[in-house]
Amino acid sequence: MQGRKRKPARHGIGNRLRRRFAEWVNNRIPPARAVTLDQKRIFIFPSRIGLFFSVCLLVMLMTAINYQNNMSFALTFLLATLFIVGILHTYANLSGLTVRALRATPAFPGKQSEFSIKLERGGQREHFALYVKYPDSDGSVVNLVEQDTVQVNLHLPVGKRGWFSPGRLLLESTYPLGLLRCWTWIDLDLYALVYPQPLAAAQLPGLASDRPDGAAVPIAGSDDFYGFRDYREGDSLRQIHWKGLARGQGVQTKQYGAYANRSVWLDWEMYPGLGMEQRLSHLCYWALEFDRAEEEYGLRLPGLVIEPGLGERHRDRVLQALALHGIGTRSR
Amino acid sequence: MKPDQQIPRNALVWIIASQFSLVAPHAGRIPIWVLAVYVFAALWRIMVYRGSWSFPGRWVKAGLIASSFAGIFFSYGSLIGLEPTVALLLTAFALKLIELARHKDGYVLLFLGYFICITEFLFSQDLPIALYSLLNVTLVTTALVAMHRPGEHQFNRKTIRLAAVMLLQALPLMLVLFFLFPRIGPLWSVPIKTHTAQTGVSDFMKPGDISSLGKSDAVAFRAQFDGDIPGASELYWRGLVFSTLEEGAWRSLRYFDVPPAERRAPPVETTGESLQYRIIIEPTQQNWLYSLRYARPTSPGVMSGSDYVLFSPTELEDQRLYGVESWPDAILEPELSPWRREIELRLPGTDNPQTRALAGQLRSQAGSDAAYVDAILAKFRDEPFVYKLDPPLLPAENPVDAFLFQSRAGFCEHYAAAFVVLMRAAGVPARVVAGYQGGEVNPLNRTVIVHQFDAHAWAEVWLQGRGWMRVDPTASVSPDRIEWGLERALEQQGGFLSDSPLSLVRYRGVAWLNTLRLRYDALTYRWQSFVTGFDRDRQFQLLNEVFDGISVRKFLLVLAASWVLVLAPLAYSLLGRRRAREQRNCDRYYLQFCEQLAPLGFVRAPGETAGEYAARICRAVPAIAGEVGEITRLYSELAYGPVEASSGRATRSERELKQAIGRFRPARKMRFDRDPR
Repeated sequence: MQGRKRKPARHGIGNRLRRRFAEWVNNRIPPARAVTLDQKRIFIFPSRIGLFFSVCLLVMLMTAINYQNNMSFALTFLLATLFIVGILHTYANLSGLTVRALRATPAFPGKQSEFSIKLERGGQREHFALYVKYPDSDGSVVNLVEQDTVQVNLHLPVGKRGWFSPGRLLLESTYPLGLLRCWTWIDLDLYALVYPQPLAAAQLPGLASDRPDGAAVPIAGSDDFYGFRDYREGDSLRQIHWKGLARGQGVQTKQYGAYANRSVWLDWEMYPGLGMEQRLSHLCYWALEFDRAEEEYGLRLPGLVIEPGLGERHRDRVLQALALHGIGTRSR
Repeated sequence: MKPDQQIPRNALVWIIASQFSLVAPHAGRIPIWVLAVYVFAALWRIMVYRGSWSFPGRWVKAGLIASSFAGIFFSYGSLIGLEPTVALLLTAFALKLIELARHKDGYVLLFLGYFICITEFLFSQDLPIALYSLLNVTLVTTALVAMHRPGEHQFNRKTIRLAAVMLLQALPLMLVLFFLFPRIGPLWSVPIKTHTAQTGVSDFMKPGDISSLGKSDAVAFRAQFDGDIPGASELYWRGLVFSTLEEGAWRSLRYFDVPPAERRAPPVETTGESLQYRIIIEPTQQNWLYSLRYARPTSPGVMSGSDYVLFSPTELEDQRLYGVESWPDAILEPELSPWRREIELRLPGTDNPQTRALAGQLRSQAGSDAAYVDAILAKFRDEPFVYKLDPPLLPAENPVDAFLFQSRAGFCEHYAAAFVVLMRAAGVPARVVAGYQGGEVNPLNRTVIVHQFDAHAWAEVWLQGRGWMRVDPTASVSPDRIEWGLERALEQQGGFLSDSPLSLVRYRGVAWLNTLRLRYDALTYRWQSFVTGFDRDRQFQLLNEVFDGISVRKFLLVLAASWVLVLAPLAYSLLGRRRAREQRNCDRYYLQFCEQLAPLGFVRAPGETAGEYAARICRAVPAIAGEVGEITRLYSELAYGPVEASSGRATRSERELKQAIGRFRPARKMRFDRDPR
């Protein structure tokens, strides 16, 4: 909700009502990583088709009255009570389902994040046509028939740096008759991490080497073996890890280098005079650059130091630190 | 808006099946080309499904609609009236299939399907039709359910189960509504049946009319008596009185033939025992109702005519139930008004000279009118007159002469007509009465089943001091007809229902078949009196009996109570039972873990993730960090890990988690932490 709440509150009855309603829903269905749907959490109302059906029933009733036809009365009443019984069956299609937050992939601002959600049934009942959607995401329709759980991945564009809240998840179904719409809005307490927007900076931080432990690059072609990496065109055939290839590990190149006891430090202080977001964007840009170049880099932010390193996990740690700088813990 | 709004294949199959099932009972009533449209539409849609053809364009659709209107117009000569309207609906129902692409079209088509069910009831509400329609409703509902099962690309027979279950659950509430819903009169006039032939006795009688009814085994009406059923020879069901002879045919007096002063039936003094009975008459598309003389209706909406017959102000479009009280011994019209006398004596023209001469001669021989009647009956009895279903045709000139002096063979209408002519020629007021005589007693429910072949014509003679007397010349010719019915009367010559070899009535001799037939007839009677004949009066009566007086409060109370009674158990079975099952094993184990930690000051906050919780504990009590971390890891893997097709059995990780939590003794370690002794 964060992104929405920060908007300046506009005045007007519609807006106030919406806010009141959001508060009410929030109290009724508090955020949780896993929500089991029960009476408290499910809403139900005739769908548009249900209203159309009611009009049809009225026409049937008129026919029955005007022709004084008892079997027509019977059929009209049968369908009317089918509508009523349908309430329970539509309800049962959502009731007992557990919705779990699995994960949300981090993303850069404006890009798509994938929110993974797991639907799980409570009993052996078959659940059909469960429509899952975040306010801004694509929708997905799933069944729970043969398996007990099903994973749904929803994609939606994320907003500003920090934790992105996708809003409440809509879970909806009109099964089995389509006459009633049964739905719930759940806050799965699932947030996507939004990295800073990478912003190219002319000044290469690596060259700010006036510091004693200033920038350093691994010196390729040295004698010390320090690891493997996937083969790239131009690598010397002598450096190919043949044993590994024989074991079926794919073509890898042995990496030799020497630590020049220096690393590249991406430092908050490198961009004096710039705003926080801009600094973070530049640092992010260079973190990605070094990651691509497979050069070790560390990060220094006020109150946080990440030792130089390399690899996917390292990169994610650095990006996360950049994403969350100055934001603190998740606020609701 | 939603991605998957296509009609799944399973639904398509159910939709087509329900369409054919719905049109089947209409098949006999609609032009044959409408059925062809059904086949054509189904083929087209299947071709679309297979990708060979495409959905029709706008112009093709417009063309199809226009040509179906034209087709109906040419087949019926009109677009107005019940039959053309229904045929049009049926055609539209078929054509809708061709453009069935998305859910929206499906709803329109299936709701129309429900309505098609109702149109069938406008033609027949019989028990077999009702049962068949229940099947149709189930099929349409199944199609509706199938439409909401995305991804079913195989025909699934089991889809019908849910639809049937839901309809069964709806049934009791439907019954409550059916019996409680107030029956009000029609709100506006509606198109009525136009092409249905009138059945039963018609309002004029030529020789041969009633004998043609004698060949039909259809049921005319059923009567149920409150007391004993009178003997067959007493069951003269009066329907019409024919007072006018015109161009060789007998007909009843029309409304404007009767002067206003004579339009009300002269009052009758009721004497003797009365009979009380109810009649359910099959639709005749005519107005008159049958009763024993002298009848007074006990149901509203039944009128009494000037010649003591009952009639309904509206034509009988549907089965109709009415109650009657009859006094067989009452004297009808002890005094004859001059106008009435003139009407009942009128014998136009000068034809049938032999008959007139015979009448004059016999009347002068007899001392009184009563003796003259006896003389004529004796003539019929003693001379070789024959009772025949298919008598020789009579000439248009002097038909009564030809009958009395040459052919001497006829059906009841010949005898009745000849008798009345003989009476009138001798100055005795007389008229022909048409209706039914006798009937089959169904011992199972003590109803009298009157078939079309019981149709009969007899005479009424007015005698001074005795009023209108019933005289049945047929009884003199063929006493068996009156005592035992037409079958026995025709036993010698054969010909009873000879045109309908499959009629069950023909096989009354086969005991088990007859029992079966009577059983079914009793069921039909019950159905008609409780269901199709259920009207405002029956409703009032029933509610009064069951609830001892009706009030709005009671009405609402019964309605609410019945709904609670049906819906509460249903809600419980659908929604309530799952509580125990909805927790997964890993959740249960994890909650045990949290419970062990809670008394030590680590209550898991609502919304706190397992990871956050574990981190909090590890920071506070490093001594148990390893175990807590391991348990949290195992639990997270189980709860949030990749989806695997899990079965009911415990997986290996689940067992590991259980064992880890079983070994976990946080209280002991924490004591060590705090108290280093």
